[in-house]
Amino acid sequence: MTEVLTRDLVVAPGSARTKDEAIREAGALLVDCGAVTPAYVDAMAEREHLVSTYMGSYLAIPHGTDESKGHIRRSALCLIRYDAPIEWGIGQPVRVVVGIAGVGEEHLSILSKVALVFSNPDEVQRVLDAAGPGELYDLIQQVNAA
Amino acid sequence: MSAAAAAVTPTVRRGKGAQVRIQRFGAFLTGMIMPNLPAFLAWGLITSFFIAAGWTPNGIIGGFANADASSWQGAATALAKAADGTTFHQYLGLVGPMVTYLLPLLIANAGGRIVYGARGAVVASIATVGVIVGSTVPMFLGAMIVGPLAAWIMKQVDRIWADKIRPGFEMLVDMFSAGIVGATLSIGAFFGIAPIVTHVSSWLGTIVNWLANHQLMPIMSIIVEPAKVLFLNNAIGNGVLVPLGAQQVTQQGKSLLFLVEANPGPGFGILLAYTLLGVGVARSSAPGAIIIQFFGGIHEVYFPFVLMKPTLIVAAILGGATGVATNVVFGSGLRGPAAPGSIIAVLAATPRGSFVGVILSVVLSATVSFLVAAVILRASRARDLAAGESGDLSAAIAQTEANKGKASDSLAHLAAVNDLAGARGAQATMVATKPIHSIVFACDGGMGSSAMGASILRDKLKKAGLPDVKVEFKAVAQLQDGADIAISQRELTDRARHQAPSSRHVSVDNFLSSPVYDDVVAEAKAAAGSPS
Repeated sequence: MTEVLTRDLVVAPGSARTKDEAIREAGALLVDCGAVTPAYVDAMAEREHLVSTYMGSYLAIPHGTDESKGHIRRSALCLIRYDAPIEWGIGQPVRVVVGIAGVGEEHLSILSKVALVFSNPDEVQRVLDAAGPGELYDLIQQVNAA
Repeated sequence: MSAAAAAVTPTVRRGKGAQVRIQRFGAFLTGMIMPNLPAFLAWGLITSFFIAAGWTPNGIIGGFANADASSWQGAATALAKAADGTTFHQYLGLVGPMVTYLLPLLIANAGGRIVYGARGAVVASIATVGVIVGSTVPMFLGAMIVGPLAAWIMKQVDRIWADKIRPGFEMLVDMFSAGIVGATLSIGAFFGIAPIVTHVSSWLGTIVNWLANHQLMPIMSIIVEPAKVLFLNNAIGNGVLVPLGAQQVTQQGKSLLFLVEANPGPGFGILLAYTLLGVGVARSSAPGAIIIQFFGGIHEVYFPFVLMKPTLIVAAILGGATGVATNVVFGSGLRGPAAPGSIIAVLAATPRGSFVGVILSVVLSATVSFLVAAVILRASRARDLAAGESGDLSAAIAQTEANKGKASDSLAHLAAVNDLAGARGAQATMVATKPIHSIVFACDGGMGSSAMGASILRDKLKKAGLPDVKVEFKAVAQLQDGADIAISQRELTDRARHQAPSSRHVSVDNFLSSPVYDDVVAEAKAAAGSPS
């Protein structure tokens, strides 16, 4: 089974400046690794207009709707950290974007690691301060998921 | 005060099921009408300004000018008959299409969405077009029935082949099944439901006609006021009362029939009660609605306020009846129809000698409807506050149950709960002593936010020594009833409630770090430790 979050799907710093660009950037990573079709990226952008995926703690997790699961070939996650905060909504600065393509349950253990990292303010700071993609990847992986 | 206490105290057990059902129905109506309030106000504003009798008449926007004689070309027109029998192209304008199509479709859409999400909303709208064009009567009643019904039918149809579709074909089957069901239902509504509503409307007119001929004027309000809030006001006003009134004018020089439907008093009283005693958005939009209704004469803007709390119809009926009775006593009436029914148009149509009666009929009807509406709003205010702006009452019902036998404390307690809810992002308090076995997280897609929230809570529960509490997550559309607590993003909580009515619902603004989690953990711990 392929890893859901691989090292090459962790990017820092990302190049997007706006919310829409960030969703496209995360979507492009998922398309490039063969996890989703381009239609899924449109669904990600569309869903964001319906319900924001801003999670607090500088994190947003763009993903498609339930209906768009047909465009997912396999589960994958990507993580992009930005040097400058992206305004996700009013008063919602985002530094880390985790793009999610999830079918079935393979992506849940890694997602729950992300959740545990971002629910702890100290860990969030370590993510923001991490030197590069490699260190970011290790930070997420070393969490002892519930 | 006894009314308020009665509403908050749980009634005896056998009355409770019915009470809960009625409250749920009220919550459903609110959910169907409330989100569309801006559309009602927009239409009210456009109408009060631009119709022929408006403040700044505009034949293009108001839809009464001859397009052949105008320099503004290209707008939608319809053939209309001039007084001399010739036809001409008349602008459609905004007023007619908005009230005929936009408002009923929005109501159907919101109703369908409550029943079955975005899919239900789409099918509801398709079906409602059938009932709209199947009749010449405004289709608010039709939309309120057909919309939710169509969504419910779609839900049942989807159940037939749930989990039986070959992977990869789900989207295709979903799209076509909704298209086919929508098309079928719109035709069914056209031939099946529209004629029924047409009949109901003309039947109501017949009754009003009979009452007018039998000197039972004040009783007319029992029919006229409910018909009004269902937008049948013009059918009854222009179709029955105005012709009868015109007949009386030729004999007596005036008629009170013109005021039965056009009296702005009852609506004013209800809106005033909302202004002083309402909650949330309804309260804050009521003052603006008063201006459109009382001075603009567009009564329709108060209809949604009644539709979302149907008991208020009592206030409208008593207010209306008071107005009619006042005119009967003073022998007063109008020279001609007051259209639109603004206070200005009413006074302009008042003949000398009738001013005292007419003005008193407006003032007294407003007073009576205000007082009755105030009692009704006051009685349910605590519940509405606890339920938040959405007006959804399930949370309040749970609260009522938790407060059994402590009616005197409950009002103060509910107010405190509301403060807490506002400050912390939680809608329910943690007062239950029932053990907690299962918690479900709901989000829009069921693959991201809810999964993360569930992981965090699971982790917290494990650390608190409660590994046996089951924590699941679901897309809100797939949410099943039965979990002890359902946690969702604030904007989805209403939908979650309708999916899982027996769960206790908690809203979070932030799935990652919500104080709600610690409350839930503390509660689960307390409940696990307590002997009950």
